[in-house]
Amino acid sequence: MDAFHYLLGGFATAMQWQNLIFAFVGVLIGTVVGVLPGIGPISGVALLIPVTASLTGGLPPEDAATSAIILLAGVYYGAMYGGSTTSILLNTPGESSSVVTVLDGYPMAKQGRAGVALAIAAIGSFVAGIVSLIGLVFLAEPLSNVALKLSPADEFSLMILGLCALSGLAGKSVTKALIMTVFGLLLATIGMDNVSGVARFTFDMPELYSGLEFLTIAVGVFALGEVFKTILEKDVNDGEIAKISRILPTKQDLKESAGPIIRGSLVGFFKGIVPGSGATLASFLAYLLEKKISKNPEKFGKGAIAGVAAPESANNAASGGAMIPLLTLGIPGTGTTAVLMGALIMYNVQPGPLLFDEHPSIAWGLIASMFIGNLMLLILNMPLVKVFAKLIETPPKYLIPMIVAISIFGVYAVRVSVFDLVLLLICGVVGYFLAKNDFPMAPLVLGLVLGPMIENNLRRALTTSNGDFSIFIEKPVSLIFLIIAVLWITVPLIMKMRGKKVVVNVEG
Amino acid sequence: MSKAFDRYASLLFLVLGAAFVIGSGNISASAYGSNVGPNIFPLGLGSLLIVLSLRLFYETFKYKQEEKKSGPALDYKRFLIVLVAALLYALLLEEIGYVVSTFLFLLVGFQTMQKGKWLSSVLISGGFSFGVYFLYVNVLDGTLPGLPTWLGF
Repeated sequence: MDAFHYLLGGFATAMQWQNLIFAFVGVLIGTVVGVLPGIGPISGVALLIPVTASLTGGLPPEDAATSAIILLAGVYYGAMYGGSTTSILLNTPGESSSVVTVLDGYPMAKQGRAGVALAIAAIGSFVAGIVSLIGLVFLAEPLSNVALKLSPADEFSLMILGLCALSGLAGKSVTKALIMTVFGLLLATIGMDNVSGVARFTFDMPELYSGLEFLTIAVGVFALGEVFKTILEKDVNDGEIAKISRILPTKQDLKESAGPIIRGSLVGFFKGIVPGSGATLASFLAYLLEKKISKNPEKFGKGAIAGVAAPESANNAASGGAMIPLLTLGIPGTGTTAVLMGALIMYNVQPGPLLFDEHPSIAWGLIASMFIGNLMLLILNMPLVKVFAKLIETPPKYLIPMIVAISIFGVYAVRVSVFDLVLLLICGVVGYFLAKNDFPMAPLVLGLVLGPMIENNLRRALTTSNGDFSIFIEKPVSLIFLIIAVLWITVPLIMKMRGKKVVVNVEG
Repeated sequence: MSKAFDRYASLLFLVLGAAFVIGSGNISASAYGSNVGPNIFPLGLGSLLIVLSLRLFYETFKYKQEEKKSGPALDYKRFLIVLVAALLYALLLEEIGYVVSTFLFLLVGFQTMQKGKWLSSVLISGGFSFGVYFLYVNVLDGTLPGLPTWLGF
């Protein structure tokens, strides 16, 4: 009953008026981010970290961290709701995890059932959000209790596993993903070494003593990278937007989608817990599952309501599920959770086993706020879906320069340094060209976030073993993590060599 | 996937890896109370990066050059204008203040994206730059470079 007790405490935190506002603003912006073409959840969250930091500036540290993370998580799962809107109305997914929704969502819209499709997507997302939260509540405590028993060597290997999980499946080339991971870890070594106090790779530049700021890099590669992509590739849609008439689904619609929603939620949730697999893959799997067990699979692709309900539920459940390894183990499994983790660290909150002990109000406040946020999203999305649909028409002419301006404002407000602004622009350009050539950005950012922790654990472990590296394979738990990490990288490679098709995770 | 890009990138990462390895030679190899120093992590990672970039370089000989995608050409002109404007914006932010620099950047940005509609461009740029400044500085008590002193305010 302990979890229930803590959850009540979490609700007390989440129901504070400022946190209700933060949750509301978060899910609202998230929906907008999901609807607007050109910015996805990861760039939305990155863009808002500095803005949130300035909003919460007046609060005590613990409250500021709670409110900020409530808002940012709201953006994350809110964007998952919003992503369906453009898929259904415009035949263009707002973010990668809504790619499958296009298959049946747009045909439904052409049949004049756009409103129903949007409503089912919202209901499915809501159910999925609740399912994954219940899982979060019950798994969080036991998982973090196990994680508390880990030694430095075990923790080092666990983080290596996290890095391999995200690299092994990200992008088209494992080599490139690994290069980005290692490069991110190397960037993290710039600055003052926090064990010995020695300056590393700073070239006597005072700006570099505190290291490269995670925030600057994340906003640069994700938000500006996306903006540059939109400008360079003239990535604007000029398609016809489908009309929305009826919104409320009929009893028949609900009956047909109940099963897909439940199955999609479960598929998504378990997919989400596994680091590196992500929401896009979850929605694909849920769609394939529905098609396989359906009595009339020929309907899929022609406007089957199950083809909207299942993937939309799955991608939301996956984003909830991805919070579990982040909060309990400190291992972000997706690009967006890596960015969220960076935000937490910015507030001096270390996600991981100790989070539930040291900052219960943050951990449980966040979980409780996700219940509230999902409810807000359902209420927002059902009647207001027409209003959000209007947002699709926002001219990129105004949107693109404003995103640049918000990035500059955000980074300057937090860092107050022109050096960081220039670094931000460089990251944007480099990020665009690397991402365009299949160098995934999420492992880079994850390496940057995990770098200091991995190094600390490595050195703590090596210090106890007098520099003997065999400590990592002598400890059984550490050995198991390392073996899984190696398998994670090699199994897809071997399968590829044998000519099997390997599904890769395209999302950040 | 571009073969040429991957080749240049692999060479670049090779150089970066080597730089980190050489650079870590100047960092002390031990720390107080421990024989594991701050150099070990960058040294190991740098070596790993060298190996990986060699691997990528080798891979570029194996895969076939994909046929050029027949999409529209990249719009470098607009991109460069926005990029240079953003760079000037960043460099001038402290000199001419947040409101003026943001206003100018947005105006240039809007007009670069699509010419015309001057009135709405001016109104939106002005509204955004004043709005953000007012909200952040007056409501949230943050600090941003104000209007330049030579304007007489």
